[in-house]
Amino acid sequence: MSDIQSEMRATAKQLLESGEATVVIGWEKGTMPYNSTPVMIRSAADVDKLIWDEYCQQNLSTYLIDFIYTEDKVAIFAKGCDTRAYNRLIQDKRISADKCIVIGVPCSGMKSAKAAAKLPEGAEVPMSKACKECRYPNPVVFDRKIGQDVTPWCTEKDFSDVEAIEAMDQDAKAAFWKEQYTKCIRCYACRNICPACNCTNCIFDQSASGWQSKDINASENQFYGVTRAFHVAGRCIECGQCEMVCPSDVPIMLMNKKFIKDIDTLFGAYEAGLETEGPVPLSHYEVSDPEEFM
Amino acid sequence: MSNNSVENFEPKILVFACNWCTYAGADLAGTSRLQYPPNVRVLRVPCSCRVNPQFVIRAFQRGIDGVLVAGCHPGDCHYTTGNYYTRRRFLLITRMMEYMGIDPKRFHTRWISGAEGPKFQQVVTEMIEEVKAIGPNDKLRDDMKVEVKAVETNE
Amino acid sequence: MERVGVFICHCGSNIGAVVDCAKVAENVRNYPGVAYSTDYKYMCSEPGQEMIQNAIKEHNLNRVVVASCSPRMHEKTFRACVEKVGLNPYMFEMANIREHCSWVHAGKNEEATEKATDLVKMAVSKVCKNEELQKGHAPVTKRALVVGGGIAGIQCALDIANNGYQVDILERTPSIGGKMSQIDKTFPTIDCSACILTPKMVEASSHPNINLITYSELEHVDGYVGNFEVTIRKKARSVDIKKCTGCGTCMTKCPGKADDEFNMNLRKRTAIYTPFPQAIPNKPVIDRVNCLKFKSRENGKDVCGICSKFCPTGAIDYEQVDELVTEKYGAIVMATGYEQFDHSIYGEYGYGKYPDVISGLHFERLVNASGPTQGHIVRPSDHKEPKTVVMVKCVGSRDPEHGKSYCSRTCCMYTAKQATMIRDHCPDTKVYVFYMDVRTPGKLYDEFYNRTREEYGVEYVRGRVSKIYQDGEQLMVKGEDTLLGKQVEIAADMVILANAMIPQTDSEKMAQIVGIGYDKDGWFTESHPKLGPVETHTAGVFLAGACQGPKDIPDSVAQAGAAAVKVCALLSKDQLETEPTVSKVDTKICSGCGLCVPVCPYKAITLETIQERRAGKTIERLVANVNSSLCQGCGACTVTCRSGAANLKHFTNAQILAEVDALCQTIL
Repeated sequence: MSDIQSEMRATAKQLLESGEATVVIGWEKGTMPYNSTPVMIRSAADVDKLIWDEYCQQNLSTYLIDFIYTEDKVAIFAKGCDTRAYNRLIQDKRISADKCIVIGVPCSGMKSAKAAAKLPEGAEVPMSKACKECRYPNPVVFDRKIGQDVTPWCTEKDFSDVEAIEAMDQDAKAAFWKEQYTKCIRCYACRNICPACNCTNCIFDQSASGWQSKDINASENQFYGVTRAFHVAGRCIECGQCEMVCPSDVPIMLMNKKFIKDIDTLFGAYEAGLETEGPVPLSHYEVSDPEEFM
Repeated sequence: MSNNSVENFEPKILVFACNWCTYAGADLAGTSRLQYPPNVRVLRVPCSCRVNPQFVIRAFQRGIDGVLVAGCHPGDCHYTTGNYYTRRRFLLITRMMEYMGIDPKRFHTRWISGAEGPKFQQVVTEMIEEVKAIGPNDKLRDDMKVEVKAVETNE
Repeated sequence: MERVGVFICHCGSNIGAVVDCAKVAENVRNYPGVAYSTDYKYMCSEPGQEMIQNAIKEHNLNRVVVASCSPRMHEKTFRACVEKVGLNPYMFEMANIREHCSWVHAGKNEEATEKATDLVKMAVSKVCKNEELQKGHAPVTKRALVVGGGIAGIQCALDIANNGYQVDILERTPSIGGKMSQIDKTFPTIDCSACILTPKMVEASSHPNINLITYSELEHVDGYVGNFEVTIRKKARSVDIKKCTGCGTCMTKCPGKADDEFNMNLRKRTAIYTPFPQAIPNKPVIDRVNCLKFKSRENGKDVCGICSKFCPTGAIDYEQVDELVTEKYGAIVMATGYEQFDHSIYGEYGYGKYPDVISGLHFERLVNASGPTQGHIVRPSDHKEPKTVVMVKCVGSRDPEHGKSYCSRTCCMYTAKQATMIRDHCPDTKVYVFYMDVRTPGKLYDEFYNRTREEYGVEYVRGRVSKIYQDGEQLMVKGEDTLLGKQVEIAADMVILANAMIPQTDSEKMAQIVGIGYDKDGWFTESHPKLGPVETHTAGVFLAGACQGPKDIPDSVAQAGAAAVKVCALLSKDQLETEPTVSKVDTKICSGCGLCVPVCPYKAITLETIQERRAGKTIERLVANVNSSLCQGCGACTVTCRSGAANLKHFTNAQILAEVDALCQTIL
């Protein structure tokens, strides 16, 4: 990893010194050993802040939105999931490719910071769930690339967790979700970090619209949960950031993956964030779509 | 809450009906005097594609016992393609609602044309009977809000 | 401050006998927003409407709810009623307590009253969030397009043109005339089809208000009622229509040969051709698939060119290419007609491989004096006159399993007509007709059928044919006579099948291009089966002739005239009123993701750049914009829009939520 890290620093230095980029987005070491947090570097003198370790899970692409109205030229380090998020943002017309330099970094999977926090120091930390299921560890789009592509360890989507819920009876399902969403504190961290949740004005911030009350309870929280999952349906790139940042450990990806599974089964396999053009499942239809409503 | 006794339980069912087909179908049921139980309330929308799944969740939150989304048959949409989007959205949402624990008997999407008065009668009658049998909905329900309203109304 | 007036209608005893209207009025009197509430015997009556108007003035009402029949019945009435006293017509809502309540819950008075109360509460909650809306105006292009140049299209165009409006006929084949030009005689009068059709064709071609666009296809339709933009593909004729005089020399010299579709492939035609001698325009086209020059070009050579050598005006142009033109129209009439069902799917009729088993349209060409046999009825296989002919009806019709479930309407009569013609031409020939039912509604139709049997001696056998097979020179026809309850077997020389009428093979694609509905069989759907037989659900698009369903000539002509009247009514207006219940995008909320753009069926949404001040500087960003003239108000975009920036006026998110909440509020 250190090779990659030094190459990252060298690349950042070269980009900033040459003026090709005015800002570089990468990761720096956080306050705890299991935290690697985003950093924005504007000066070549600061490039040594950049690190590359097994906790660089955070998807950086969403930060590109912050620069759409600035004069900056932004370079960004991007793992496979970051590049899918990048494509997604391009397709949503939230960022413009000619303002960005994508420096692809193949990724071998990141460790779970949440698990690490609970384990004694020095214990073996497991890979985060989203990374375990990752099928695109290599950047799907990039202007430059650092490091060697890795062999994906997953080729098929793993829906075993979704299927486990589906197998429950209705009361058990309801009880499960009620328990999960009772924990939710509606901090909206999942929304804020999500590259698909990129609206300038989220409906959950429009209290006057009448969509949702400010009450925090299982019912309102589930409305939030289902609605958000529906809004990212067909656009979720499975980076798992929502779950990563959730302070209440709500299994948010279980909702997102349910839609992914059903979209694949009903309308044909679809991978969000691989392309920047082409129909998005919910803005498209086929006359031959399954008919169950006769 | 009087609804708790399943025996005397009279469910309330919300029907989102597209203006051009299902609403007309329900009108036809009326002009043909086709009788069905009085548990349904029709909410008119221009097209089934106007029905945001969020409306459906909201209704369940506020204590509805069943929701029917109904529109023109695919190919017959007044707006040509609206119901194809309805179909995509509600194929997904039907599954999500079931995944969340809502009994699938409580939530249906159906194509009912302006000529299908008897079908409207049949679909709502069957749905009412099914929902009656499974009792009031307590899933996704915001009990606080439903109860607060109960108090307000009792005053 | 909302001040809602609620008016509960008894509709005589229609509502009043089931719903306790006074109680409903009482139940909602203290409902939030309600300022006045009452009930009355007939709200739609003159005194009822005056009552509403007086209450608006007296109680200073700014919104009105009428609970009565379906809004499909009286929404217009009441909107006009409140407008007369200065209320915006969109500050009105209706609760349907008749069709959706009293009529369907007879005897359940208590529950129906409770339901009516709910429905009124929903309407009140909605109307409290209604906004004043103004109707828009759009100009009208005073020109019509008729798609299809058969008898329906020709008649429709003539009727429109004679009313003083410009009209274009778009025809995909080289000539107008359609199926009627292939038919020899017409029932029940047995007058010559060409004799009554060709004068109409000539009239259309020489009419100052009619422009013929033949050998051309409908490519794309944009726009909306009054303002359609239609892209037409003018296929390469390979003949310069301006230079060509129609002398026909090219056709006599052309060495290329092709199947003659007009004559049902019963003979050959040349590669440069007009489909029939009376074709209009009477200018040939080159069938490039069968032209020796074009065929040789595929192999890298360039031979023949005889037509060009002999053409006295130099009209032949081998280099012509398809041309796309876009024209503006105010109205479109679809008159694309029908096709004949292909009987080769039926094994019992020999899969279409017996040459002497022919369809009705084949027979029309056989019996036509200018047809391939100069009107002699002979067998296609050996050109001998048949001594026994069997006719089979309902081939593909009324057969939901293998063919079509519908009755093709014309077959009973054309079979009778053809039977009499055989008997006229060949008095010694015996004719049998196998039938399921004989359906002859129509003026003088049943009389004609009776003559066929009684005067012409045609033998009708009730029953289906189970098998036809070749036996030497003859065709053995086996079937059951269900009236006698016995099997029959007839040795026939020729069999004529009354094939079903089916839509054009690309009718569904056509419907999608124009944006109209079609049924399971592919026929175009009228807006109402009884009261809107020539209109479609798309404003400004009308139907004429068999494209809407099987029809004979008189019905097609009548429908063409009806469609023409509708077109003229539209074109007579200088401006059209447009509904204000359209979608609108709140640019403050819109992120410009553009996901709403593809879902709009009217292409009404575009992304446009706006300028905005942000943190002290001007920035540019994309937002969605709805063209309110194009938008028809379906609301597809509103659900696609995650942030709720796209909202549908009169059916806003807030309005629908208010209705949902109002209903749920009553749940205890």
